[in-house]
Amino acid sequence: MGISAAQKRTVRVTSDTGVKVRRFIDLLATVVLWAMASSIILLLAAFIAYLFYLGGHWLTWDFIFGLPKETTAGGGIGPEIYNSFYILILTLIFTIPIALAAGIYLQEYEQPGIFRSIVQFSAESLATVPSIVMGLFGLLIFVYYFHWGFSAIGGALTLTLLNLPALMRVTQEALSSVPDTLREASMGLGATKWQTVLRTVLPSAIGRMTTGIVLIAGRIFGETAALIFTAGLSLSTNHPYQLQPFRPAETLAIHLWYTHSESIVPDVDRIGNGSALVLLIMVLAFNILARIGGSFLTKRFTGRSS
Amino acid sequence: MIALQAKRSHRNERIAKNVLRAAAMFVVFAIAVLILYLMTEGTKTFFIDRFPVWKFLFSSEYDPSEKLGGAAIFIVGTLAVTIFAIVIGGPFGIAVGVFLSEIAPSRMAAILKPAIELLVGIPSVVYGWLGLTLLVPFLRTHTSSPSGFGLAAAGIVLSIMILPTVISLSEDAFRSLPPALREGSLALGATRWQTITRVLLPSASSGIAVALILGIARAVGETLAVQMVLGNSTQFPMGIFAPTAALTTEIVIDMPGATQGSFLEHELFSMAFLLLLIAMVLILLVRFALRKRI
Repeated sequence: MGISAAQKRTVRVTSDTGVKVRRFIDLLATVVLWAMASSIILLLAAFIAYLFYLGGHWLTWDFIFGLPKETTAGGGIGPEIYNSFYILILTLIFTIPIALAAGIYLQEYEQPGIFRSIVQFSAESLATVPSIVMGLFGLLIFVYYFHWGFSAIGGALTLTLLNLPALMRVTQEALSSVPDTLREASMGLGATKWQTVLRTVLPSAIGRMTTGIVLIAGRIFGETAALIFTAGLSLSTNHPYQLQPFRPAETLAIHLWYTHSESIVPDVDRIGNGSALVLLIMVLAFNILARIGGSFLTKRFTGRSS
Repeated sequence: MIALQAKRSHRNERIAKNVLRAAAMFVVFAIAVLILYLMTEGTKTFFIDRFPVWKFLFSSEYDPSEKLGGAAIFIVGTLAVTIFAIVIGGPFGIAVGVFLSEIAPSRMAAILKPAIELLVGIPSVVYGWLGLTLLVPFLRTHTSSPSGFGLAAAGIVLSIMILPTVISLSEDAFRSLPPALREGSLALGATRWQTITRVLLPSASSGIAVALILGIARAVGETLAVQMVLGNSTQFPMGIFAPTAALTTEIVIDMPGATQGSFLEHELFSMAFLLLLIAMVLILLVRFALRKRI
C-alpha cells in the first residue's frame, strides 16, 4: 500500500486539528461540569446565608420558647418545636424496631427468592407513595376508622409507614457492608445465626446504621404533607406541652406553612423567617450529628475508623 | 448443662426468626392495605356518585358543590410542573452525577456529597419559603408574570428538589460500569469527554433512566413547596409564567373543607388514588429498566 507523501501530510494535518478540537472540547466539558457541580455548593451556601439573613435577628428566647398567638403579633414557636421532637421520637420508636427486624431478616436470613422479592418490591412501592397520599391514608385509618381525631400518634404512625422503607434500606446496606468472614468466624465458634447477628454483625454495622437513622430523623423532623391531615393544624391552647399522644399536635414545619397560607396574625413574615431558619438549623444539626455519631460508634464497636 | 444451653439457643433462634419474618411481612401488609383502602375510597366518585371516569380524566369542569369533578386541569398542572422540573433538573443532575463519578477529585467529592445530603434534608416547606421570598419576587419584577406565582416558580423549585435524587442515582449508574469500558475507550485514544458521551452514557442508560424516573416520582408527589409558589388558580397553565393548580396542591387546599362522605371528599380521594397509580406505574417502569440491564 503506497501512500504518497502529500496524502500522508493531509492525514496528519487533519488528525492534528482533530486532536486539538477534541482536546478543546474535552477541556470545555470539564470546565462546564466543574462549574455545574460548584454551582450546587454555591446554591446551598446562598440558601443558608439567605435564611440566616432573613431569620437571624428573630432568633430570640421569646420566639423559640414562647407560645404562639392566634390573632396578634409576637407569637413564639415553643410548642411547635416540642411537637416536632415529640412526633419524631414517637415515629422512631415505631420505625426503628420494625425496619431493623425486616432489614435483618431480608439481609441475613432469607435467601434470594420469591418471598424476598415480594418484600423488596413492597418496600420500594411504599417508598414511592407520595407523602400527601400517605397523609390521606393516615386520615382514613387513624382519624376516621380508629376515631382518634387529629393526634400526635396518628401522625407518628403515618410517618412510620412513610419512612419504613428508607430505614430498611439503610439497615440492609449497613449489614451488607459487614464482611462475611465475621459471620463465618462467629458461626465457626458454634454461635447460632441469631447470636451471630446480635453479637457480631450488628455491632459492626451500628456506625453506618446510626448515620442513616439520624439523616432520616432529620427528614422526619421537617415532614409536612403527611402530617396535615393526621397530626392536624392545631394545638390545645390550655396545655400546649402534653405528654400523652392522643391530641392534635402541630409541628414546626406545619406551623410555617399554615401561618403563611391560612393564619391571620399580622407578623407572618417574622414567624415564617424565624421558623424557616430554625428548621434549617435543625437539618444542619442532624447532618453533623449523623456524621460524628456514626464514626464515633464505628470506632467504638469495631476499632476501625469508619 | 451444655445440652440445656443449646436447646435454649435453638428456641431463641426460632423465636428470633419468626419475629423478624413478621416485621418483613408487615411491609407487604402495609402496602396491600394502603392500595386496597385508597382504591375503595378513590373509586367512590365513580361507583357511588356515578361520575364517569373519562370526565374525571378529561373534563376541566371542576365544581364539586355541583357534583362536577373534572380533574383535567390538575392532571395537566401536575404534568406541566413535572416536565418543567425534569427538563431542567434531569440533565443538570446527570451532569453532576457524571462529574462525581468520573471527574471529581476526592477533595471536591468530600464537599459536594455532604452538600447534596443537606439539600435532601431541607424540608419542603423551607424550599417553598425560599421560593416565596426569593424566586417569586424575582419572577414578578423580571418576567411578564404579574404575580410571580406560577408554573415557572414551581418548576424551578422542584428542579432543585429533585436534583439530589437524580445526582446520586446517576452517579451510582456510572460507578457500577466496569472499569474496562473506560480503559478500553481511553486506550483507543478517546478523550475523557468522548469516553463519557460515547461509551459510558449509552452503557449507563438504564441506570440513568431509573434516576430520571425516580426524579419524576419525587416531582409528581411533592406538595407543599409547589402549593406555596404555584398560584393555585383552577385554570390550565397559559404559558410558563402563568399560575395553575396540581393534583397534590388541590388536595391540600380542598381537603380541610371536605366533609366525610361528600362528593368533594370522594373526588379528592380519587385524585389521591390517581397519584398512587402514577407512583405504581413509575416503580414498575424502574423495575422494567433494571431488568433490561440484566
